[in-house]
Amino acid sequence: MALLELRGVDAFYGRIQALRGVSIDVGQGEVVALIGSNGAGKTTTLRTISGLMHPTTGTISFNDRDITRVGPDKIVGLGICQSPEGRRLFPRMSVNDNLMMGAFTRTDRPGIASDIERVFVLFPRLRERRNQIAGTLSGGEQQMLAMGRALMARPKLLMLDEPSLGLAPILVETIFSIVREINSQGTPVLLVEQNAHKALEVAHRAYVLETGVIVQTGTGKELLESADVQKAYLGM
Amino acid sequence: MPAARSLWSRLHLRERIRDRDTAVYGVLLIVALVWPMATIFATGDTFLTSQAAHAGTWVLLAVGLNVVVGFAGLLDLGYAAFFAIGAYSYALFASFQLASSPLHHAYHLPFWLMLFVGMFVAAAFGAILGFPTLRLRGDYLAIVTLGFGEIVPQLFLNLDQWTGGINAIGSIDQPSLPAWITGPWAGANDIAIVRDFNFSFDPVAYYVLIVILIIGAVILVNNLHRSRLGRAWMAIREDEVAAAAMGINTVTTKLLAFAIGASFSGFAGAYYGASFGLVSPDSFLFVVSVTVLVMVVLGGMGNIAGVIIGAIAIYFLLNSVLSSLPANLQSLSNAIGLGWLNNSNGAWPGLSELAQRLQFLLYGLILVLMMLLRPQGIFPSRIREQELKHAVATEEETVVEQAHAS
Repeated sequence: MALLELRGVDAFYGRIQALRGVSIDVGQGEVVALIGSNGAGKTTTLRTISGLMHPTTGTISFNDRDITRVGPDKIVGLGICQSPEGRRLFPRMSVNDNLMMGAFTRTDRPGIASDIERVFVLFPRLRERRNQIAGTLSGGEQQMLAMGRALMARPKLLMLDEPSLGLAPILVETIFSIVREINSQGTPVLLVEQNAHKALEVAHRAYVLETGVIVQTGTGKELLESADVQKAYLGM
Repeated sequence: MPAARSLWSRLHLRERIRDRDTAVYGVLLIVALVWPMATIFATGDTFLTSQAAHAGTWVLLAVGLNVVVGFAGLLDLGYAAFFAIGAYSYALFASFQLASSPLHHAYHLPFWLMLFVGMFVAAAFGAILGFPTLRLRGDYLAIVTLGFGEIVPQLFLNLDQWTGGINAIGSIDQPSLPAWITGPWAGANDIAIVRDFNFSFDPVAYYVLIVILIIGAVILVNNLHRSRLGRAWMAIREDEVAAAAMGINTVTTKLLAFAIGASFSGFAGAYYGASFGLVSPDSFLFVVSVTVLVMVVLGGMGNIAGVIIGAIAIYFLLNSVLSSLPANLQSLSNAIGLGWLNNSNGAWPGLSELAQRLQFLLYGLILVLMMLLRPQGIFPSRIREQELKHAVATEEETVVEQAHAS
């Protein structure tokens, strides 16, 4: 039984169907990537998992519990936490306060303090800027803060939406190595990316999404070598 | 003197004085304590004390609206409706009004009970208003609250078999102290604030009451601001989607902002009904909502000390500076030998008449100037201050980043 299971999920924006029968598994300890072009339904998939939207048909279960119709605040409480698309920091709060907001559902003060420390070890830049206002960070630092904030909820599943978007190549490298690091510490990651090459390198398994349908699936390595994927997403 | 110095440092007085808001609170508290004594001594009557008590109603309203607008970032243009609900709750159950209603029985419930009833009734209506509007944001929410603010006074006007409609509700009961709260402040002696345990129309008694209510409200709101709920409000104001992603129940949090904000207005309404003795539907028009909003924005949205100062400043401006401007100008021109300016002549209406006509133009100009010169308010919250300070830096960085990206 996988940790997260989507089965035949359909989702609509008004009358426009964004997902058609999407089925995805994320297992314990895995990094799973969801790749595809703009408008393929990657972000919609994350939104249905995190409860910001609900599927019209199909089911979502997490830890053997049906979460298809559960609201977003409860989902976070269950342990699914995401760094949303466009980072969505609290721009006028300090780095520290943003991290504290990430721990909103928790009440164990010593645990929160030690997790802030853990985030600062992962992202030393954030420690230097802990009292700076989040809106004044650079793009890379903001992405680090978004990931750190998501980690503060002690997620059982971390979902990252386009973590490399708009970052300089060297920072993209850093971000992905941190994804690997977070995963090696035991947190499963569901990764949505347009940067298919990087995502497939990091991912244990991956799904290719095209206009709301899963068209291909396999291990990261298999997809990197697949002719279709190479042609469509890797520019080879 | 080492002993004195250690006491000094133990109290951390220096740090506390350096803290701007604490200093503002301190000054306000001292002024509030000295005000009645000083003004009665200086002028020989209680006019200024009763004016200050009236200003206190506005302070309570502004502190309450600040929860909705300043903390949670929900624009409420119908705040006067809750004020009306609080005032009418008290007026109906503490006067002879219900005797002439279909109920045929007048109630005279004690003020202290109705203070809390008014608070809860207003909070309930806050939640009722909040419920259908939770999906709305920004401008749309503002329009719905505006509608609510128009509907409520109309209801009180048109349900005249209950509320007396345009005739208003008069001879509302005065609060009285329970006889067991005895002390030098009650009883029949000369220094009594509450003579014979009844507030009657004594401005000093109402002044003491409103100061106590405000202190209570400020302590409550300050604690709310620092609580988990306060942080949730802040997160929603910053970014609602991100707040939901942090596990904040945005529906409950916003409902609580509306209900808690409204409850202070209900509180103020009950006080207003008692101190004024008359509740009429035209005391709760749109201009009341807007004035409270101006107080909040001008004082410094989100910062309680700033909002109190804003409320006092606007009240003073409207009810003292501008209203006495015509008379002051007239006597000034007489005094400096330009008395002929006061005579109307053709198109010239005379100086004091002109000032009378231009009062609200001046008010508008002052507001525009204030917002241009100090957009963050008189005493802004720290977050807004930093935001304005860093806004330039952020823009520069974004430009640099974009240059790198392209």
